[in-house]
Amino acid sequence: MDNLIMIAFSAFIIENIILTQFLGICPFMGVSTKRSSALGMGMAVIFVMLMSSSVTWVLYRYVLETFDIEYMRTIVFILVIASLVQMVETFLKKVSPALYKALGIYLPLITTNCAVLGVALLNISKGYNFVEMIVYTTFIGLGFLFVMYIFSMMREKLDYSPVPKAFKGAPIALVIAAILAIIFSRFGGII
Amino acid sequence: MNKGFISGIVLLTIGLVCGILLSLVNHFTAPIITREENKIKYAALAEFYTLADYDLSEVEGTGAFGTIYVLKEKGTDNIEALVYTVSAQGYSDSQLVQMLIAVNNDLSVEGYKVVAQQETTGFGADIVENDFNVTIIDNLNDFDAVAGVTKTSNAIRECFTLVSQRAVSDLGGGLSE
Amino acid sequence: MNKKENFVKGFIKENPLFVSLLGMCPSLAVTTSLENAIGMTMGVFFVLVLSNLIISLIMSNPKLAELVKPVRIPVYIVVIATLVTIVEMFMHAFVIDLYRALGVFIPLIVVNCIILGRAEAFASSNKPVNSLIDGAGMALGYGAAIMLISIFREFLGKGTLTIWGDLQLNLTFFFNFLKIEPIAMFVQPVGAFLTFGLILAGITAIANNHKNKLAKEVTNNG
Repeated sequence: MDNLIMIAFSAFIIENIILTQFLGICPFMGVSTKRSSALGMGMAVIFVMLMSSSVTWVLYRYVLETFDIEYMRTIVFILVIASLVQMVETFLKKVSPALYKALGIYLPLITTNCAVLGVALLNISKGYNFVEMIVYTTFIGLGFLFVMYIFSMMREKLDYSPVPKAFKGAPIALVIAAILAIIFSRFGGII
Repeated sequence: MNKGFISGIVLLTIGLVCGILLSLVNHFTAPIITREENKIKYAALAEFYTLADYDLSEVEGTGAFGTIYVLKEKGTDNIEALVYTVSAQGYSDSQLVQMLIAVNNDLSVEGYKVVAQQETTGFGADIVENDFNVTIIDNLNDFDAVAGVTKTSNAIRECFTLVSQRAVSDLGGGLSE
Repeated sequence: MNKKENFVKGFIKENPLFVSLLGMCPSLAVTTSLENAIGMTMGVFFVLVLSNLIISLIMSNPKLAELVKPVRIPVYIVVIATLVTIVEMFMHAFVIDLYRALGVFIPLIVVNCIILGRAEAFASSNKPVNSLIDGAGMALGYGAAIMLISIFREFLGKGTLTIWGDLQLNLTFFFNFLKIEPIAMFVQPVGAFLTFGLILAGITAIANNHKNKLAKEVTNNG
C-alpha cells in the first residue's frame, strides 16, 4: 500500500508529466487558453490514457513477450491508441451526444498526443504490475489535468495584462510555464 | 468487391511488410544490443577480471546477497573466481552499503568496490578510496577500520564476513545454479 | 517553387519549431546538451526523409493511392512507426549512451506532429523527389532549432558544449571571468521553458521589426 501511495504521489506532483517529463506539451500550449477547454482536454486525456495503457499493458505482457517480439511495441501501441480513439469517438457520438459535444473535438488531437503513448511506454519500462500501472496512469492523468487547469487560469488572466508585443502568445505562456516548473521542482524535496 | 475490404487488405499487407522488415533489422541488431547492454552491466566486473578469458554465469543470491557472478575456466566446470554482490546495513535499515567482492578460488580477494552507498556524505564517501588490506577473506583480522566512520566500515566488514561464511562452500561447488 | 526554395523554407520561413510550434516535447526534453540535440536531429532526419519518400511513392501511384486513401492515416502511422523502430534499434546497437540519454523520446518520434503533418500536408500530394527535399529541409530546420536551444542551455547551465562523446568544448573560462558559477537552473526543466520562451520572443521581435521595415518601404515607394 505504501508503495502505491508513493507511486501515486510522485506521478501526480514530482514526476509531473508536463512540467518535468515534457510530455503532452502540444495540448498544454494549444488548448489551455480557456478553463473549460483545459478541463475537457484533461478529462479526455485521462479517459483515453487509462484505456490505452490497460490494453497496451495486457498486449505487451501476454502477446508481445510471449512471442518474443517486444521490438514491435511502438507500432502496436500507436495503432492501439489510434483505433481506441476512433472507437471512443464513434461510441460517444451514439451513446452520449452531450459528452461527445464536450470531449469530441479533443479526441482526434489525442492520437498524436505524446503523453498517451509516452505513458504506455513508461509503464512498460518501469516494470509495473497491473495495479501499479493503473495507479500510475490515473495519477499521471490527474497531474496533467491539474497543471492544465492552473495554467489555463493564468492564461485567462493574461488576456487582460499588458504584455510586450514580442512576448504575445506562446513566448509569455512558456515563461509562465517556467515559473510553474520552478514551483513543481521544489516538491521533489518532500520525499 | 467491397472497397473497404480491399483497403483493409492493403493496410494489412503494408503492416505485414513492415513487420517482416522490422524482424530482419532486429535479427541484425539484437546480438549487438545484447553485447552492448552486457558491456555496461559487467563494466564493474571488468575492473577485476578480463571477462573474455572466462565463462560467465549468474546466480541470484538470497538475503543479503544479490547477483553472484560465477567465472569458470573456459570450457570446463572449474570455478576460477566468484564475484558477490552483497549489501549490509549502515546507520539504519534504509541505508545500505552495497559492495562487489571478487574472490579467487584460493580465497584471496582480487578486489572489492562499493557500488552503492547512502551514508553520511563526506565521511562515508571517501571510505571507498581507503585501502582495507583485506587480502584473504578467511582472515578478517587485518581489516583496518577507518576512524570516524565506524558505522560504514562496520557495514563493509559485515559484507566481508558474510562472504567469508559462504565462499569456501561456494567455491567447492556448493553453489547451485 | 524551385528545389532550393523548397529545401530552404524549413529553416526560416516555415520552421516547424519556431514558426509552427510543432514537436515541442522533444525540443524541451532533450536539449540539456548539444549532443542529445544532435542525436535527436539525426533520428528525426532519418524518419522524416524516408517517411516522406515512401508515402509520396505510395500516393503518386494513382491505382495504389485510390486503395490507400480511405485508410491513409493508419498507413502513414504504420510506415512512420516502422522507421522509428528501426532508428531505435540502430541507436540501441551502435550509440547506446545516446539511446539511454534520449530514452522514451526516441519511440515518441512517432507522435511528433511534424512527421505526420508533413506526410499529410506535403508528401501525399507531391512528387517523390520534392517530398524528399521537403523532408530533409524540414528535419534540418527542426534540428537547427533544437540545437540552438541546447547551445544556450548547455552553455549557461554547465559551461560546456558537448558535440559528440568526448568531443567537448570547455567554456567555463567565461564564468570564471565573471566570477560566477554556471547557472544550473538552465539544464533543469525550468530552463527548458524559459530558454524556449525567450528565444521565441527574440525571433518574434526580429520578425516584427523586419515586417515593419518592409511595410515602410512599401509606403515610401508608394
